[in-house]
Amino acid sequence: MSLDSGTKWRNPLFVWGGKRDVEELPTIPFRSHQEVWEGTRQSKTKLNPVGRLRYYHKWPGHGRTMWNRLRYWPTRRRVLRLRGEYNPKTLRAEKTIVDKRPIWWVLGLLALAIAPLFTPGDLQNTLLTAGATFGIYSAISLCWMLIMGTAGVFSLATYAVVGTAAFVTALLAVKFALPWWLLPPIGALVGLVFGGIIALPATRLDGFYYALLTLGLNELCRVYFITSKEFGSANGGLYGATTYVPEDWSQLGQLLLAYYACFGLMLLALLLYRFVNGRRLGRILRMAPEKREAFAEATGVNFRQARVWVFLISSAALGFIGGFYTSNFGGVAFSIFNFDTVLLGLAMLVIGGVGRAEGAVVGTLIVVFFDQVLNTWGPARFMIIGLIMLLVVLYLRNGLFGIKAQFRAWRDKKKSERRSTRAEKGGEMLPEEATETDDKSIIYQRRYDKMTRNHLKTLVSPEVIEEHRQSLNGQHSEALERLLIYFRTRPQVEKYAIMAVERFEGYRIVALSGHRGVAPRVVEDRIYSTPDEACHGVFMRRVQDLLES
Amino acid sequence: MDIWFIVSNTIVLACIYGTLAIGISITWSSLGLLNLSYGFIFAFAGYGAWLFAQNVSAWGPAVLAAGILAGALGGVIICAIGFIPIHDKPNFTIRGLIATLAINLIGTQFLLWWFGPRSKNLPDIFGNWSLSLPGAVFTADKVGNVVTSIVILAVVLRWMQSSRRGLEIRAMMMNPHAASIVGIGVRRTSFYVMGITGGLAGLAAVLLSQTYYISPFGGLMPMIKGVSIALCGGLGSVRGAVIAAIVLGLNEALTGMSIGGRYVLITQFVVIIAILLVRPRGIAGLLDKAREA
Repeated sequence: MSLDSGTKWRNPLFVWGGKRDVEELPTIPFRSHQEVWEGTRQSKTKLNPVGRLRYYHKWPGHGRTMWNRLRYWPTRRRVLRLRGEYNPKTLRAEKTIVDKRPIWWVLGLLALAIAPLFTPGDLQNTLLTAGATFGIYSAISLCWMLIMGTAGVFSLATYAVVGTAAFVTALLAVKFALPWWLLPPIGALVGLVFGGIIALPATRLDGFYYALLTLGLNELCRVYFITSKEFGSANGGLYGATTYVPEDWSQLGQLLLAYYACFGLMLLALLLYRFVNGRRLGRILRMAPEKREAFAEATGVNFRQARVWVFLISSAALGFIGGFYTSNFGGVAFSIFNFDTVLLGLAMLVIGGVGRAEGAVVGTLIVVFFDQVLNTWGPARFMIIGLIMLLVVLYLRNGLFGIKAQFRAWRDKKKSERRSTRAEKGGEMLPEEATETDDKSIIYQRRYDKMTRNHLKTLVSPEVIEEHRQSLNGQHSEALERLLIYFRTRPQVEKYAIMAVERFEGYRIVALSGHRGVAPRVVEDRIYSTPDEACHGVFMRRVQDLLES
Repeated sequence: MDIWFIVSNTIVLACIYGTLAIGISITWSSLGLLNLSYGFIFAFAGYGAWLFAQNVSAWGPAVLAAGILAGALGGVIICAIGFIPIHDKPNFTIRGLIATLAINLIGTQFLLWWFGPRSKNLPDIFGNWSLSLPGAVFTADKVGNVVTSIVILAVVLRWMQSSRRGLEIRAMMMNPHAASIVGIGVRRTSFYVMGITGGLAGLAAVLLSQTYYISPFGGLMPMIKGVSIALCGGLGSVRGAVIAAIVLGLNEALTGMSIGGRYVLITQFVVIIAILLVRPRGIAGLLDKAREA
């Protein structure tokens, strides 16, 4: 349709001499719907460039090799979890490592195994001693992680168990001159008995009441051992037990032997962790996490019994570690019962993340590094450890190893926030609604309708209304024609119609129900005297509705 | 003679332990926070009182007030660092426990670094007199301890029952969620609560320092005793805390008299475990599921 200078509409049928035709009418300049379309589709929020969200190495080829799976011997666990798939773009067969943690474990353990070869000469003494301490403490942390993470018993008496076992074995070793290899099994026995005693209240108390009790228990052990004469209250500890480190070796040899023995202890603890956490007991307990215990119980999971089992197993293991501690250092000091020792142990677990073996090991590494290697710093190093612990508790959901999951959750939250700011109201579907709609064409249809309405709103003007009043039928200007086509294509429900109250005398506007047999609804009281006036009234109502939508 | 000695010891211990335990109990029931940095607040208040006595005045009541104020300040600091950032995050109970433990570690090491390992002692607050009654001799610090702690506890409990702020705190104890809906802000109230309970810890620190010395780690034992008494009495119940303080004070006095001081902790734990096995939520604690969150 041609437009004359943007403000006048020329009737092309005028030359044919129609009855009520006018030659030209004022109208509005042409507005492209493309502008509304682009304006709506444009993103109003800043979009940050994001790379690939999950990055996997893709190895070419699979097929029969996918089924030749290597498994750890007594378990049915595969060495590496692989997924075979076809690349949708290249249609090439590819292998993906789903879980890369075994690789990191192997690399990390290898690094620890060869670390003594790379220690600088002047630091060898400090570093190897710290390494041995790290081995013992990470074994303790792993057993504690079983109690706290897997069993979900918030016990603070771990070091009390270790210390009691260490003191009892040291006393026996000194009194009866026991060989060093007998100390860890005896320690395990002591740990089992002690664990059995302190498991008694654990069956009745909630996790966190139990924490308070065990905190006191630790203090009780400390006071008891410090004040009792036979445990060496005079010289700050009990020494003189036999040790597995031969005295005729060179100092470096002794250090290396202790380092590798403690490393072996840590490997044993890792094995125990895997066998308790990854197998039946751990699965039963994962069924009954906090606040879902009633549900687990109702489904027949005896989680209390499983908890006691895990508790007893790890208490025995802690006792074993206590015995090993004695045979490693040739004795034990009272400082193992100190409140700060408990706090540092808790820091080890919390920094890494509760419920993960890697969290226990790496957390121990961090704490032992500050505690043993930087020991010239005095109280400052404890303050640093405490600060790390505080920051981890305040800002991380589950320690350092929970950062990845936390970051992903945060990114997903941000993404959905952005998505919801991009969707506007006004007939469009909101994102939550859209995901639950099966027929996705409805989403696009509503969006299209909204954009159409936005465009049509810009076309409503006094000129167009005046034009409609003058000529209801026949040719119209572009703007009016678009409005009328839109109004005509509305569905029957609540569509306006004209009802003759008295033929040629009175007409009124009604709204159709859209359902067969249901009478139309009277919209307004006003009665129009001619059909044309009523028709214009309907138009005005529709314009009104359009502007309000 | 013996009976009088036991009774007087029981009363003194029960007063001090009650002061500690009521503070822990109020914190737990109104904020849901188990404040394990109590030991730090305790030592902090002790050092505050010591600094005041050294630099300003050694007059007893002023030193006592300084200790209480320092304790309140410590409580407010803990609240700002350890409670405000995490109280609306998931798994708050355990997080709060660990956060306050971390603050305890940092704080006590800071005190060690700042004041050195040597312990300090405060001047005699209550003078140096004694009261002789037929059958027993009451020294100034014992009488002073009992009177002061009872008076201050009575004032605090009266304040909690009659004042606007006390009403807010009690509302938070009953139902923190509903309290926040009717306009009792958790954050603002938490500062009052931590201030009050910190002040109680400061009071206990100054009172105990009449018997023991002030050292960076000196707050540990009182904290453990306070926590176990609060636990035994039922976390959140003032009445239970008082009963438990009397029971455990009696236990301590009896054990100290009969089989010796080094077995005090052992008998204490046997008593606590026995009580908790019978009533898992303590003597006057609410039953399971009665108080959510």
